[in-house]
Amino acid sequence: MGQRKRAAIRDSLANQIMDGITLGHQDSPKHNICMVSDFFYPNMGGVESHIYQLSQCLIERGHKVIIVTHAYGNRKGIRYLTNALKVYYLPLQVMYNQSTATTCFHSLPLLRCVFVRERITVVHAHSSFSAMAHDSLFHAKTMGLNTVFTDHSLFGFADVSSVLTNKLLTVSLCDTSHIICVSYTSKENTVLRAALDPEIVSVIPNAVDPTDFTPDPSQRDDSKITIVVISRLVYRKGIDLLGGIIPELCLKYPQLHFLIGGEGPKRIVLEEVREKYQLHDRVRLLGALEHKDVRNVLIQGHIFLNTSLTEAFCMAIVEGASCGLQVVSTRVGGIPEVLPKELITLCEPTVSSLCEGLEMVIARQRAGTVPPPATIHSRVRTLYTWRNVAERTEKVYDRVAKETVQPLHRRLHRLQAHCGPVAGCIFAFIAVLDFLFLLLLQWLVPDSVIDLAVDASGPHALWKRSGNRKHSV
Amino acid sequence: MVLKIFFPRCCNSADSGLLVGRWLPGQESAVVLAVIHYPFIPGQVKRYLSELQAQSQVELSVLGSWSMPKEGQEGMESFLKDLSTIFPQDRWLQLSRGAGRRGFACQLVERGGGSAQDGGDGGGDSDGVIFVHYDQRKVMLSQLHPPEGGGGANGTAEPSELRLVFQTVARSQPLFATDQYDDGPLKVTHWQSEGREASIIVELTKQASVPLCALLTWLLSLWTRLCRISLFNMWPVRFVTSKLSTCVQLSYRTDHLRTVSSPKKASDHMEFMRKANIFVSFFVDVALGLLLISWLYRANRISRLADILVPAADHVAKELQELLQWLMGAPAGLKMNRALDQVLGRFFLYHIHLWISYIHLMSPFIERILWYVGLSACLGLTFALSVLSDIVALLTFHIYCFYVYGARLYCLKIYGLSSLWRLFRGKKWNVLRQRVDSCSYDLDQLFIGTLLFTILLFLLPTTALYYLVFTLLRLVAVLFQGVIHLSVDFINSFPLFAMGLRLCRPYRLAEGVKFRVLSEEPGKPLHLMMEINPLKYSSVLQWYRTPTYSCYPKDSWVALCKKLFVGELIYPWKRKGTKTD
Amino acid sequence: MGADSGPGAPSAVPWRKVLYERQPFPDNYVDRRFLEELRRNVRVRHYRYWGVVREAGLVAQQLSCVAAFLTLWWYMDQSQLSPSTLLMAGLLFALLGYGLYEALGASRGGGRTRLADLQSAAIFLAFTFGFSPVLKTLTESVSTDTVYAMSAMMLLAHLVSFPYAQPSPPGSLSLNAALFASVCLASRLPGALHTFAMLTCALLVFALWPCLLHRLRDRAPWGFPWAAALVSLGSVAGLASLSPGGALLLAVALLTLTLLCPLLLVRLQRHKDNIHGPWDEAEIHEDLSHFLQ
Repeated sequence: MGQRKRAAIRDSLANQIMDGITLGHQDSPKHNICMVSDFFYPNMGGVESHIYQLSQCLIERGHKVIIVTHAYGNRKGIRYLTNALKVYYLPLQVMYNQSTATTCFHSLPLLRCVFVRERITVVHAHSSFSAMAHDSLFHAKTMGLNTVFTDHSLFGFADVSSVLTNKLLTVSLCDTSHIICVSYTSKENTVLRAALDPEIVSVIPNAVDPTDFTPDPSQRDDSKITIVVISRLVYRKGIDLLGGIIPELCLKYPQLHFLIGGEGPKRIVLEEVREKYQLHDRVRLLGALEHKDVRNVLIQGHIFLNTSLTEAFCMAIVEGASCGLQVVSTRVGGIPEVLPKELITLCEPTVSSLCEGLEMVIARQRAGTVPPPATIHSRVRTLYTWRNVAERTEKVYDRVAKETVQPLHRRLHRLQAHCGPVAGCIFAFIAVLDFLFLLLLQWLVPDSVIDLAVDASGPHALWKRSGNRKHSV
Repeated sequence: MVLKIFFPRCCNSADSGLLVGRWLPGQESAVVLAVIHYPFIPGQVKRYLSELQAQSQVELSVLGSWSMPKEGQEGMESFLKDLSTIFPQDRWLQLSRGAGRRGFACQLVERGGGSAQDGGDGGGDSDGVIFVHYDQRKVMLSQLHPPEGGGGANGTAEPSELRLVFQTVARSQPLFATDQYDDGPLKVTHWQSEGREASIIVELTKQASVPLCALLTWLLSLWTRLCRISLFNMWPVRFVTSKLSTCVQLSYRTDHLRTVSSPKKASDHMEFMRKANIFVSFFVDVALGLLLISWLYRANRISRLADILVPAADHVAKELQELLQWLMGAPAGLKMNRALDQVLGRFFLYHIHLWISYIHLMSPFIERILWYVGLSACLGLTFALSVLSDIVALLTFHIYCFYVYGARLYCLKIYGLSSLWRLFRGKKWNVLRQRVDSCSYDLDQLFIGTLLFTILLFLLPTTALYYLVFTLLRLVAVLFQGVIHLSVDFINSFPLFAMGLRLCRPYRLAEGVKFRVLSEEPGKPLHLMMEINPLKYSSVLQWYRTPTYSCYPKDSWVALCKKLFVGELIYPWKRKGTKTD
Repeated sequence: MGADSGPGAPSAVPWRKVLYERQPFPDNYVDRRFLEELRRNVRVRHYRYWGVVREAGLVAQQLSCVAAFLTLWWYMDQSQLSPSTLLMAGLLFALLGYGLYEALGASRGGGRTRLADLQSAAIFLAFTFGFSPVLKTLTESVSTDTVYAMSAMMLLAHLVSFPYAQPSPPGSLSLNAALFASVCLASRLPGALHTFAMLTCALLVFALWPCLLHRLRDRAPWGFPWAAALVSLGSVAGLASLSPGGALLLAVALLTLTLLCPLLLVRLQRHKDNIHGPWDEAEIHEDLSHFLQ
């Protein structure tokens, strides 16, 4: 049914834009996309894998994609990943938490060089915690490139630090062409934070590679019930709640076991609980897991528990469900949007509510009324795929490419009108300085002098793969 | 895959015959070691090869044939081609050299399919074969050092192949033992040593060194037994000897001599080089020491030195006294706590008083002591320097004492202040978790803590000033001793022999190779000349430095500054903890 | 399914806020229900003026305590007040206060016996008396201005870090800062006995008085405003005998603190605009520490 609906929509779309141009995938414009973020491999996390998977799918669809990030230790310069995905590791100083320091200017020469060399048309920045992403947006607008920004996180409005970061986000996104959020809640949040027009904000969820997370019921021990928790052990992930749940349930159900993967400052809480209640044989702390090991841990469990206090999308529960586990999670952020009711049990972020939810699922598990893992997997596997994400992102690029980038005077006007009298003036001034700096650079090293890089991916790729054109429509 | 043939230069103009060498396992390359000339009996060749193989542990085999056309030997080629049936091999090389031409022709016969890869003059595809010519003698004698950085981009395959080549050539030394004047059943061409006159002297020395080594070993064992007497193992003696650099140097030299005089043959290159380095540096050291003695005991220099030494020590004590007087006033306009200042000043003044009387007690004997101590230089310059370092340490003992008092006091204060500062903020150090926890104190604890904190805080500048002044003095002494230690260590560890070897026979220590194109003609195999890259001097130093209980500063400058700041004691003789106890 | 169609296209199917279903709307579609979960000022407290004034009285009386202590020190420094007088007065007040404290504390839940109290008192007195000659010479060589500046900083730190919400036991930092300041000041006094008297006085004012006041607030809420007012009036009167201008300033400051600031708080509360929604980080309201005890 969904398929039919999609087909209908596509037809209607086609009618709208068909005016003499032959419709077809081949003719859709190809973009030169530059993904910018501070967070990329060898760092591991949600943003990193998002950038990597999205880039791979876009390359598959015939676009040229490069990634720009900062140097990680010895890993600097240019590297190529699978399918000739080119990564620039720029020598920028890391300040805090893998995020680079920003002065608004010092990254311009490097980024301009990259943008010109690679003939970039769209700059796509990721994560609002990444200073480099904001820098690149700023410079790209100065250079007259189209910009897209993906926000991966939620932020409150309560404290001083969020007031400041929200102001910066307002400035940074004030004239960005399009913004992508990973869930509707995240969209509401971003629209409020950056005071945006909601129509330039698209919702494109994250995805999970379903082939990486296949169920294997033979791996789990059905004589006991295992609850798996995989998250960083930090306050935001609700580890304190977990520390309350463990003794409550373990006292009630003697055959209950916990398997906890991840590392962080709150590990001490879990260790104390384990010591106090003598649960060393039933609560196993696995420490930091590599991405490839996550599946092997997941398939050992029956129930996946997520105790996050805030979450924009939460890939972990999708991974858990994809491995055929019963998912119990807190009802925060975008989590209620992610999985259909029958696959997830939502609770309030309190110990009692979570315990209640877990007990319900345990009872169902004992009664054997839960669907088998293979069924759950087949239900989940089609929900979120990277190809779908890439398709939808591509549409954003198409739309953005048609827009014209605002010239400097309009941009200044908009900054002043949109970001408040003080911050607006300051950043308008900085924008002018940035523009002058760009002129200076263009005078020192004209664009025509910068030699162009050979395309590694995209329509004019040097190493063209054989099956480049046969992707699905 | 390109076939590489390593070909010795000396065989370039050999007569026709069989190629003897080795196929490198896992590599598409062959090392040619020698050419066995026609005429020969195949059975004898096989026996000869198996004998050699047993001697050298190298899998020698007949690689193929070599033809060098001469007048009156027509039909040789076809004969050589047929030889492959006699020596069964998976692959059979046929190298032939055209008369008056530079290049070789090469033909590879695969045994299985019989397919022939033609690289000859006839214009087949010659991409398949590369000839690498090498100097057999140099390659045999040289020692290839692994690259420093580990694996580069494609550094995993290439060096291992090279290493195999070097190993093969070096280990097949027995093959080269026969020379052209030997009248064996087989005629062989390979590298041959030209003369043996010098080697006679070497042999004689070797013979003579055996009883010498035995004597040395016996003496050393006697010395070791003397050292093991329980009297010397008692705590104070051991403590003092571990602190005196002379004793440390003595034990170090004993170790060296034991290594050198051990009757066992050096098992590998590194050990041989180590022995040679120690031997040479020992000789140089003793020579320098004798030079020093000859200078010192002439023209009454000892007594003059003694005359200078005592007044100098006296003078230092006087200067210190003045410094203390100054500190007890208002030094540099600083306002210190008067009461504490007086107490500390008097305490230190009393020490100086003690020290001066001690010096005066010692002064009549100084010259004698110096005279005897100077004799130690005949054991080497390093001994003389160590003795000097010890004398300096003894003469600045009072500074050391002051420094220790100051540092202990200061350290105590810093420690107290830091823990009271935590109390001041309502925190405490949790020993189990290794972190600062918050804690609620009682009223009386808080009150007393704050009282003590205030007192310590106001007394800190006074203590800190004393500490600072004496630390600076101590640093001067430490610096001097450090320089002496460094020079001793330099003499001890400098690889003189390796350096000399690098200077005179650069090819002996190879870092890698470089290839020079000999001839490159289309349609003919490529001929390369392999030349040896000598090791860089810095790498020589790094490879062959004799390990010592080095007295280079082990902790970085930042760590040193931190130690100074918190008042930990610093010593010049702080070594790695491995050998001091 | 695309960003490029006009948003808000009419459709028969209602939009749902879910991601797991492919819906016939473009990605940048904005529904009428957009931001419908937005809440404003969810957890705003409404203050009553006199309640705030009452609480502000605590701040005012702490300020008065500092002023009173400084006045006493000034009199001591000028030798207009003999240490024995101060000691006697201190003893009197201490006994009175202890009596009141005992009278108010109906149940001795805390487990501190009279012996422990006596022991603490002995420790205070012994240490102060023993150290007072040392303290006397402690700041001899430090310039007077430095000492004054340091004391002023410390007293300010005391006022800022004083745990007004929970004054008993007094917070470590605030008490320590106050004691440090009083040691600094006491060391400038002419004699060792002066130092001793001053430190005892500091202990009474900064350590014991907040305990008593807290108990008073707990057990006899009606008495607390009177006590605060008494302390304030006393300090103003004391300062007036020293310098009328200072007293006036102090009185103005106290009035501002107790009357004007609460008024401002209540008035400005009206302008509060706080946004809440599902994106907020959930707060853990339960006390989870009992799992670890």
